[in-house]
Amino acid sequence: MSGVQPSATDTSGAQSTDGAHTAYGHDDRNDDVLVDVRGVKVHFPIKRGVIFDKTVGHVYAVDGIDLQIRRGETYGLVGESGSGKSTLGRAILNLEPPTEGSVEFDGIDIASLQGEELRRKRQDIQMVFQDPMGSLDPRQSVESLLLEGMKAHGLTKDGTEASRRLRELLSAVGLPVAALKKYPHEFSGGQRQRIGIARALSVNPKLIVADEPVSALDVSVQAQVINLLEDLQEEFGLTYLVVAHDLAVVRHISDRIGVMYLGGIVEEAPADALYATPLHPYTRALMSAVPVPDPLVEDRRERIILTGDLPSPSNPPSGCRFHTRCPWRQETKCDTERPVLRVPDIPGVAADHRVACHWAEQIESGEIQPHEVTAEFVEQHAGGGDGSLMGPATAVEAMVHHPGNTAGGGGGGG
Amino acid sequence: MTDTLSTSQQHRNDDTPLLSVRDLRVTFHRSGEEPFVAVDGVSFDLRPGDTLGIVGESGSGKSVTSLAIMGLLPKRGVRVEGEVLYNGTNLLTLSPDQMRDRRGAELGMIFQDPLSSLNPVVPIGVQVTEVLERHRGMSRKAATPLAREMLDRVGIPDPDRRLKDYPHQLSGGMRQRALIAMALAAAPRVLIADEPTTALDVTIQAQILAVLKDLVEDTGTAMIMITHDLGVVAGLVDRVNVMYAGRVVEAAERHPLFADPRHPYTWGLLQSIPRLDGARGERLNPIPGSVSDNLPWTSACAFAPRCSQPIEVCTQRTPELVEDHGRSLRCFNPIQHGRPSPDADTTRGTSEVTR
Repeated sequence: MSGVQPSATDTSGAQSTDGAHTAYGHDDRNDDVLVDVRGVKVHFPIKRGVIFDKTVGHVYAVDGIDLQIRRGETYGLVGESGSGKSTLGRAILNLEPPTEGSVEFDGIDIASLQGEELRRKRQDIQMVFQDPMGSLDPRQSVESLLLEGMKAHGLTKDGTEASRRLRELLSAVGLPVAALKKYPHEFSGGQRQRIGIARALSVNPKLIVADEPVSALDVSVQAQVINLLEDLQEEFGLTYLVVAHDLAVVRHISDRIGVMYLGGIVEEAPADALYATPLHPYTRALMSAVPVPDPLVEDRRERIILTGDLPSPSNPPSGCRFHTRCPWRQETKCDTERPVLRVPDIPGVAADHRVACHWAEQIESGEIQPHEVTAEFVEQHAGGGDGSLMGPATAVEAMVHHPGNTAGGGGGGG
Repeated sequence: MTDTLSTSQQHRNDDTPLLSVRDLRVTFHRSGEEPFVAVDGVSFDLRPGDTLGIVGESGSGKSVTSLAIMGLLPKRGVRVEGEVLYNGTNLLTLSPDQMRDRRGAELGMIFQDPLSSLNPVVPIGVQVTEVLERHRGMSRKAATPLAREMLDRVGIPDPDRRLKDYPHQLSGGMRQRALIAMALAAAPRVLIADEPTTALDVTIQAQILAVLKDLVEDTGTAMIMITHDLGVVAGLVDRVNVMYAGRVVEAAERHPLFADPRHPYTWGLLQSIPRLDGARGERLNPIPGSVSDNLPWTSACAFAPRCSQPIEVCTQRTPELVEDHGRSLRCFNPIQHGRPSPDADTTRGTSEVTR
């Protein structure tokens, strides 16, 4: 499914993620792209004060993202909590209108749609949520849950047609017809997630955005739902955007993966290429942190253990956002220049593998070695602009001496 | 239900176990409902320096086991039977006061959600020094430098400043570190970690597991790691107990368990997890159904309706836990050489939805 290669990537390195469009050779295969996200930013204001409601800063949840999702593929977004992956998913549905940038769905700019038009367009984009109990009305029967969307979009003309459609939906997600008269609390977690998926399918969408579709489920049930999502994609020709924190799940289900860190995509590649040659230091650390249920692998593994926490998205680090925790950080560029997603000049790396790191080539060749990183304390609930609250983090930052690459050879601690 | 999981008659010389759980049984009584047996005849031994993993899904009884050992279950409506022998004393017969002296000092515990196990209105430093005052009889003044050292050891940056911080000022990972510092401050001989990394991100999980591993090795504390994640125990513990519906279904050293799972449930779990290093595009092999399909243990194997290879006897008799070459197994028709056995009765369809 990810067989289409971008034909031109020559100019991508010269582009800035801030607003400008990243050339990705998409002009010649525009029909192929279902979702085109250009320079999207979602900033949430932090408000203080009782009377004036003054904006004292912003949470930079999503900060300049370009991505294309092709028809029929599964695009996986991975990242840890606070990376902005869910916000990006919501921005694509216009549930969270982007502060900047545009989202084109099927050639139409979603932000330009309003009211009735937007409502009708939403038929094509459906969402599956993490918590199936929280996203199903406990007082509606399954039948009424499934019919609601179909009625709202005028898809049910008469009763017999509707009941035929309901049966189809239930059999598609593997629930018995008897489920129609039941209520969400009568089902197990996996079955509820199936109802959530049936509801999303009920209006014949083109794209399904699944936000952590399996993370609330037991391990043995997760696989059932993952298989179901794969079957439905094949049957109905769906396009998926899967947002999840579990790299193993995302790798299994996705054709292409974007790795997010603090509001930006740091690496994007086909799933196999990302696993075979992770290029960004953060991707490397993330890969090495995922536990593998095999003692032989676990005993041999070299872990890159990151120090400290994710910095606050309301006060993101300058330059490369990962530089405060990066074991490969350099004295130049990293602190000051924000790297752009680009195709690195590394033999064996295809043109659809992009990374936002100044030193990807040197790290891959071993020219730059990892060094110890001193953890910085990240103050929680730190509001932007409030000097006293920001104090400790900046003070610690000031005290941390920059290790540079003199301390080469250290295995990244721990 | 007298089956015993002696961790190590053959291996490790026969020093007496530090903690010995014998036929532990926890029953919840609720008015108007059938009594519910959450833990059903669980037995295991823990020697000094041992690490034991207890793995199971929600409802398997793994957390209730740990709460019963710690004496943290409510008295009303709960019946705890069996023995929890710590250094020869049965903890289940102790008075609440006697138990309080041991909890924290001899048996430490780390919970899944650090925010709800820390006092929100007391600074971190006070909460750590409190442990030292209570269990080691130190003065606040003498305890403070030690508390600082504990925070430093679990990897909390700038510990002097953090001593004065309140739990809400710390991130999830830092809170969990603070909790580990508290649990280890009194140098307990047994540490029970109940899903300590489930609420955390993977990179933070890797940090916390590394801290736990180092501290357990340094201090010689025996650890029970309770988790639903087979990946977490794969690199951490000596021995794994797999629980299903309140009973141990398989127990073995971690290498043989992962290399050659014998119980269809263990095998099914390993088959159904997407592996980061696995071949992509291969279909996952899920365990059908859900825990609501279980049969009662009293007359059958609870797992039979979801099993990949049930035979007739599975629904007629209770399988016993049998020990063989250091592995305990509760199954009539175990998996052979990593594959389901060919003579399985495949005509019995496993219904996915029963309710």
